[in-house]
Amino acid sequence: MIKVSEITSDQEFIWRVDVRSQKLALEPIPDTWQKLGGRALIARILVDEVPGACEPLGVYNKLLFTPGLLVGHMLSSCDRISVGGKSPLTGGVKEANAGGTTGLQMAYLGIKALILENKPAAPGWWVLRLSTQGASFDPADDLVGTGVFEAAPCLLERYGSKVAIALIGLGGEMRMLTAGVQNLDKEKLPSRIAARGGLGAVMASKGIKAIVIDAQGGRKPPLAAPEAFKKAQKVFTKALLEHPQTTVYRDYGTAAVGRMALGFGALPTRNFSEGQFEDFETVSGEYLREVILGRDGEGAPTHACMPGCSIRCSNNYADENGKSLVSPLEYETIGLMGTNLGISDLDAIARLNWEVNDLGLDSIDIGAALGVAAEAGLMEFGDGEGALKLVHEIRRGTPLGRILGHGASIAGKVLGIEHVPAVKGQAMSAYEPRAIKGTGVTYATSPQGADHTSGLTIRAKVDHLDPKGQAAVSRTIQINNAGYDSLGACLFAGFGFSAAPETIRDLVNARYGWDVGLNFLQVLGKESLKSEREFNRRAGFTSADDRLPEYMTLEPLPPHNAVFDVSEEDLDGVFNW
Amino acid sequence: LVVEIHLHTILQRKNETGRIRKMNIELPPGSSLAEILGALEINLPVEGLLLIVNGKNADLRCQLDDGDIIHIIPAISGG
Repeated sequence: MIKVSEITSDQEFIWRVDVRSQKLALEPIPDTWQKLGGRALIARILVDEVPGACEPLGVYNKLLFTPGLLVGHMLSSCDRISVGGKSPLTGGVKEANAGGTTGLQMAYLGIKALILENKPAAPGWWVLRLSTQGASFDPADDLVGTGVFEAAPCLLERYGSKVAIALIGLGGEMRMLTAGVQNLDKEKLPSRIAARGGLGAVMASKGIKAIVIDAQGGRKPPLAAPEAFKKAQKVFTKALLEHPQTTVYRDYGTAAVGRMALGFGALPTRNFSEGQFEDFETVSGEYLREVILGRDGEGAPTHACMPGCSIRCSNNYADENGKSLVSPLEYETIGLMGTNLGISDLDAIARLNWEVNDLGLDSIDIGAALGVAAEAGLMEFGDGEGALKLVHEIRRGTPLGRILGHGASIAGKVLGIEHVPAVKGQAMSAYEPRAIKGTGVTYATSPQGADHTSGLTIRAKVDHLDPKGQAAVSRTIQINNAGYDSLGACLFAGFGFSAAPETIRDLVNARYGWDVGLNFLQVLGKESLKSEREFNRRAGFTSADDRLPEYMTLEPLPPHNAVFDVSEEDLDGVFNW
Repeated sequence: LVVEIHLHTILQRKNETGRIRKMNIELPPGSSLAEILGALEINLPVEGLLLIVNGKNADLRCQLDDGDIIHIIPAISGG
């Protein structure tokens, strides 16, 4: 047994917390986990320790936090925290990652992986505090029922302003299947959410309202070759800053993607029934920037979600009086809670976004659920107030609110709607798979379910309407993205890494003293996907789960009148590398 | 030959009435995408551009027809 007095960042350990006994055990890192981090490590731990068939909110599931391999050095855009477990939404493997400061402070404490296991002996809510003194539990009953924007300042007052916090909102407390885990950004706002797949509900099942990470006394993880790390960092940062995409994301944020999706006829509109939205202009990234710049006050068109990020694709969207409505306002939310609902008013979308953030829910799955609800007649498409009323139902925990809070798949079943844009129970992000078929392949086959980080293919210079060759495009991007998610790298850090691919090898070797090769990103990605598929196999998944909803293969999508027609053979061959 | 052009992000234009992101251009018959980029003085490296004609990726040699809808995009990869 390793003693708590040995906690420093000079040596990493597995921090295993039993939420029933409220005890921490520090363990050495098993050999097979050493060269894994972030998403790949989550998949490996699930395969090694969690029964595939277990109840996601039960005693055998585990909630995992794993900083990526490069986290801890303020390398631009590379300090993300991965959160994982068996998903209560999909019933399979789940990794969701976020920016903010959680990853950084866990790395400063030498945490290779935080594993929360077991179940509390009795109902109750706790704050788990992690520090150089180990782990402690404090009652959190006074925070129950609060949104994350109310709870976070209370926690900062209680534990000091320098801590990092990962917490859940009311959605998590109600064990909604779209509940995520919110993390503080560098301005101490709990707005960076590991959103997808219901991990907030898993955290709730462990009785944890918030995890406070106090890294005082800790420090940056050691570097095996500091000079080599610095040299590679310089090359990477230069490549990132010089990449043309960096400029576009800095000035327009991810919202810039909207017009591109429109151009391809792939912009989800009115519950994924069309690929172009007639009132697109007022939800475009270009218009968003104009609005932010035209309003005085707290708004900002560019903002870093992690300390040290030089892309700064986040933003702060303020109302007409200059008061912040939400930060950030991003493309996926504009797509799912805007065009997908027929809403063309950015202020209305921003208000919906803030509500969903405060509840600690996934704006993609809630947006998709509202689209399904609109088709069922519970609101009119285009009615921002109607959408807000439905979100208030979620906040109040009414029966309707609970149905919507469980996401698009459950909502579709209860409301009798066939048109549910989801795979493995998880809602699609803001790319119509009938118009971007490579992304359709990713949605269908990703072990994570339909996901915006698993392998978008919109950038590929291919005919997105041609079903041929899409599996290969998706395969390459799925592997690379799983690799980035394992390094702790934002996918946009990939601009720099793709221009200077040797820096991945050089940074990893300089950090750890290893001798990995140029293909380390792909090694990590493949290892991650292999473990994820093995976990899903044990959970009962088959190739029948690697399919898009049937209606998307039958009903043509305007304007191209395309259906999803990638062959089943191609879908089943995606992971044959 | 008149085509509809959509200019994305950093390519949008500004005039006294505001920002221009959509415009019609008249071209001689037989014109290609390369000639549009020339006419609009867009000098970004072509490998960093995505060019969409009527919803599909196209290259500089693409011959244009009357009524084509063209998006000129400093490429980005997703949101």
